Amino acid sequence: MKIGTNANRLRVASLLLPGLLIFGAFTVYPILKLLVMSFFEWDFGSMFNQTFIGLANYQEVIQDEYFQIAFQNTIIYTLVTVPGQMVIGLLVAALINSIKRFRVGFRVIYYLPVITSWVIASLIFRYVFNTEGLLNYLLNNILSLTSSNVRWLDSRWGGMIVAMVLGIWKGIGWNMVVFLAALQSVPNELYESAEIDGANVLQRFFRITLPSIRGTILFALVMLTIGGFNVFTSIKMITGGAPAHQTETLLTWMYYKAFSTGKFGYSAALSFIMALTLGLLAVLQFRLMQSDKAGDAL
Amino acid sequence: MKKTIAILLAVCCVGLMLASCGSTPASSPAPASAAGEAPTVPTEEVTLQFWHHYSAQSAENETLMNILIPKFEQENPGIKVNAVSHEWADLHDKLLISAQSNTLPDVARLDSAWIPEFQQMDILVALNQEMSDFDSVAGNLLESAMSTAKIGDDFFGLALNTNTKILYYNTKALADAGIAPPATMDDFVAAAKTLAGTNGDGQQVWGYNEPGLSGWNLCPFIWSCGGELTNPEQTIATGYINSEATVGAIQMLADLYQSDSITGWNSGDIPMTDGFGTGRYLMMLEGPWKTAELAGAYPDLEYGTAPMPAGAGGSHSVLGGEDISMFTSANKEAAWLFLQFMTGEFAQEEMAKCGQIPVNKATMETETVKNADFAPYIEALPNAKSRPTVAAWTEMDNDLMVSVTAVMNGEKSAQDAMDELALKWDALLAQ
Repeated sequence: MKIGTNANRLRVASLLLPGLLIFGAFTVYPILKLLVMSFFEWDFGSMFNQTFIGLANYQEVIQDEYFQIAFQNTIIYTLVTVPGQMVIGLLVAALINSIKRFRVGFRVIYYLPVITSWVIASLIFRYVFNTEGLLNYLLNNILSLTSSNVRWLDSRWGGMIVAMVLGIWKGIGWNMVVFLAALQSVPNELYESAEIDGANVLQRFFRITLPSIRGTILFALVMLTIGGFNVFTSIKMITGGAPAHQTETLLTWMYYKAFSTGKFGYSAALSFIMALTLGLLAVLQFRLMQSDKAGDAL
Repeated sequence: MKKTIAILLAVCCVGLMLASCGSTPASSPAPASAAGEAPTVPTEEVTLQFWHHYSAQSAENETLMNILIPKFEQENPGIKVNAVSHEWADLHDKLLISAQSNTLPDVARLDSAWIPEFQQMDILVALNQEMSDFDSVAGNLLESAMSTAKIGDDFFGLALNTNTKILYYNTKALADAGIAPPATMDDFVAAAKTLAGTNGDGQQVWGYNEPGLSGWNLCPFIWSCGGELTNPEQTIATGYINSEATVGAIQMLADLYQSDSITGWNSGDIPMTDGFGTGRYLMMLEGPWKTAELAGAYPDLEYGTAPMPAGAGGSHSVLGGEDISMFTSANKEAAWLFLQFMTGEFAQEEMAKCGQIPVNKATMETETVKNADFAPYIEALPNAKSRPTVAAWTEMDNDLMVSVTAVMNGEKSAQDAMDELALKWDALLAQ
């Protein structure tokens, strides 16, 4: 029996080893290296003789006004796009769940934006909202609602709103699929007995549907929050941080600092601040959902 | 038995992976030792790696590959040149990354604005210190162009080609409006306002196009209005970037922007060539490359050129251009021969035929240059000025863009924004 167990362990270890090696070399090692870099003055000017500067990079990041703008923008982006995607996604899922025909057709239509490339979707949004773009053409030349072209992308909030609209539009499909699967697992008997008890549509939705898919909501919330913090492609392609870095988010700012100004130490510190924030948020979200559950049970 | 086979297979897989990771340096000793011997055995063939940003399909690249390099290799047996074309922005980033991994080329054609940054990284050779005949070689080149490679008392490259911007205007639009090409700054402001409006198709047109707010875009206006960026020693900004004249220049541009007389600077707006070619932008400041672009894309467009409009400070455009530098890891003897060849009369005249403004004084006197399309630029060059050649310039340029954007958008007054900028720049210049 013991020999068998050992052989088994050896087999498991040898099967795990290739994966662990790759994981170690390409994930664990870079993270550790990044952690080390974040404590050094590591830029183009000091490439060959880095000096240890303790927490100075972290201090510089936190005091940097552009980081603060980028941080605010990221938070706002997440606060708007995550509920936006979830609410619309859940609504679409509930609607599709309640119809008998064309289900597949609607699912495909709503899922199409998800499989569209971020770069292409972003470029299309840029051309639509450009000062010389489609929307201005429509408003100005066709409908004559405006007297001159509106500079949608030339202000902080204009650029951010366009990116947020893109984020929501692109995320609805994923939420729809996830929630549709969850909705289909809610036992029909619950709805039937609630109906007999005289519960209306809204009561059934809030008293039965939502509590039954709580796990899925938490999953979507955590995944989408991480996704919201990772917003990069759309901002990079639509505004590029313009005007004057007013529309930067954490990742675009990190990218700019690392690859345009060569401040690798600064960017490493920024990435750890971001990871810590995300970790804290995830813990908070789990706690909230758990205490909510406990409250319900009482 | 099956288990044993599975274990064996897994071990083999891991072994193969490790082998493939580790074997590369160990199993290829031949090229490694050959590369190591090259500097010590001069009779062996040397290959110079030369990175540049002549675009791959351009006439310049054709000339480089088919005329210049063959000629250089013929004159210098034993030296081969491997020229690699990069996009302009890519070249900058690739050089930075190569410096990290010690894989820099021997020689590169660098935008003169990059020299201070690379010099700070200690990867460029100070030519005047290493090359005994530097003075006689540099003496053949234009001083204004050579100033872009000078930091402190040392030269970190040779000027390769130079350029500046002049005013392009749409001949028909100006004639229709009954205005002459603007010679003074007041004329320019009046012209931009008069020309702006809507065209026959109801589309918005702008009197003047400026695609960005960095030093390259703003300096001609600041200098021509009598302003400055820093003191002549490039150590202090207060009193210069926030002087009355500089603030006045920024305010002038902001007023023009707010009255829709000049365009914004959104990267998604109509590109300059197309905007000018289709009559949406009626004036612009551009470099010599624009002549060929317009001839290719809008051959029927009628336009004229004029010097930068003169303000209280005169008519000063901004100096651009490229330098050719060698890196500290280069084969210095061979690289120096190549640098001299590329700035010599033959190469400079061949490149002038493709529209590159030469920096070799003797080439400037040739018929090729006197009859070239870029002749108007040569008149503007003596008055053109170089942007600050300090290591912090990239960062300063970014601060300038941020400050002026706030003025353009009406968030700050020009004076407040420039006062704040002056403090930031003082700190950067003191580093």
